[in-house]
Amino acid sequence: MNSTNFRRGWRSNRTVFLTLSLMIAVGLILASQAGILSPFEELLTAPLNAVSGIFNRTALAVTDNVNRFGDVQTLQRRIADLEEALALYQTELVEAREIVNDYERLSDLLDYRNSIRDQETITADVIGVDVGGGLRTIAINRGTRDGIAIGMPIVTGQGLVGRVIQVSANAARVMLITEPTSAVSARLETTRVEGSIVGLASGNLLMELIPLDSPVREGDLVRTSGLGGNFPADIVIGQVTSVRPSERGLSQEAQVRSLINFDALELVLVVTNFQPVDLSVFEESPGS
Amino acid sequence: MSNYAALPILFLAAVIQATFIPQIRIFGGAPDLAFLFVLAWSVTSPLETGVLWAFVGGIATDLLSAAPTGASVIGLLLIIFAIDALRRQFVNISFLLILALLVGGTMLQKLVFAFVMILSGYEINLFEYSIYVIAPTIAYNLIFALPAFWFIRRLKPRRDGRVTP
Repeated sequence: MNSTNFRRGWRSNRTVFLTLSLMIAVGLILASQAGILSPFEELLTAPLNAVSGIFNRTALAVTDNVNRFGDVQTLQRRIADLEEALALYQTELVEAREIVNDYERLSDLLDYRNSIRDQETITADVIGVDVGGGLRTIAINRGTRDGIAIGMPIVTGQGLVGRVIQVSANAARVMLITEPTSAVSARLETTRVEGSIVGLASGNLLMELIPLDSPVREGDLVRTSGLGGNFPADIVIGQVTSVRPSERGLSQEAQVRSLINFDALELVLVVTNFQPVDLSVFEESPGS
Repeated sequence: MSNYAALPILFLAAVIQATFIPQIRIFGGAPDLAFLFVLAWSVTSPLETGVLWAFVGGIATDLLSAAPTGASVIGLLLIIFAIDALRRQFVNISFLLILALLVGGTMLQKLVFAFVMILSGYEINLFEYSIYVIAPTIAYNLIFALPAFWFIRRLKPRRDGRVTP
């Protein structure tokens, strides 16, 4: 009973109780610092560390999964951003390629223009292509207002395209040299052998009327001869790809491949200072 | 006895404090679970059991940290005796008083801990410690106080009811 009263007595004295508790706490700290508590600390820490290990692994796993989820969301956002940027860059790339193509075409035309100092030319955009109809023609955005006249030759850096057959104020129609009704006087660059380039229904070119005894080799360059007065001389038409005797056996004919892709023409040059010569007057009979 | 049977919770709190809590900490601050449980217990418990909880909670926390054993005890003891003094003064501890205890108690606990650590040879910049550790810890403790008090309230009647008729 006295013991109980004693316990109640010191407990009721808060100051003593607080002082005693603080002294114990300070004693613990000092003992811990001095290493006296080490055996007890190790004894208590061992199970706590074991439990902590389990908890820590769980915590790390949870955090890892949460982070992964966050990473996935971040990556998804990043992918969406990159896809958007990619779409933008692809559009810009297409535009850049288009500019490069335009540059190359214009550069070719400029080179060609510089190489033909005796010819005056103006550049024209191809605004229509008709190669599947009756006539193989293209339409260009230059007309009489630009000084275009019927018969003017159309060229590119790769060679002869055709000649103007119709013209309006602001547009013109050009008959391609691949048109079957087209005929262009031509000669082989190396041997100066003359012939006539006609279009085939297949869209290829054929050089006819080559004398049998004239040497023709594959790869020979074919140029306009200027004979007949329809085209200026020395414009590249194409290259010989094969040679054979004509059906009647009186001459040779050569397949000629133009360097121009007539289905993808975009820019052409109109030779404006060439006036075609009309020789038809000489073909009329003297009595008529 | 019922008061002592709940003591393993403090060890669990210390383990959680050392494992899960660092994953959600901002700056150097984190909710102080042992502090919250001791506070929640002491508000409605006799001084003797409160002191016991302060010792067990403080020692459990220190065992799983680099601090010397007992470093966290002093602050908790001061808070327990402060609560006891307030209880004798106001009879019932109101919600506002609990909030004040949470804020003031956290500051006291952390500052006392810092002083103990400084005296133990650690270098602590009190200004930075206040900004990066104490302030976030107060915020965390205010957030985690409600679940901690709810948990201790749920725990106490059940154990009291089972052991003490």
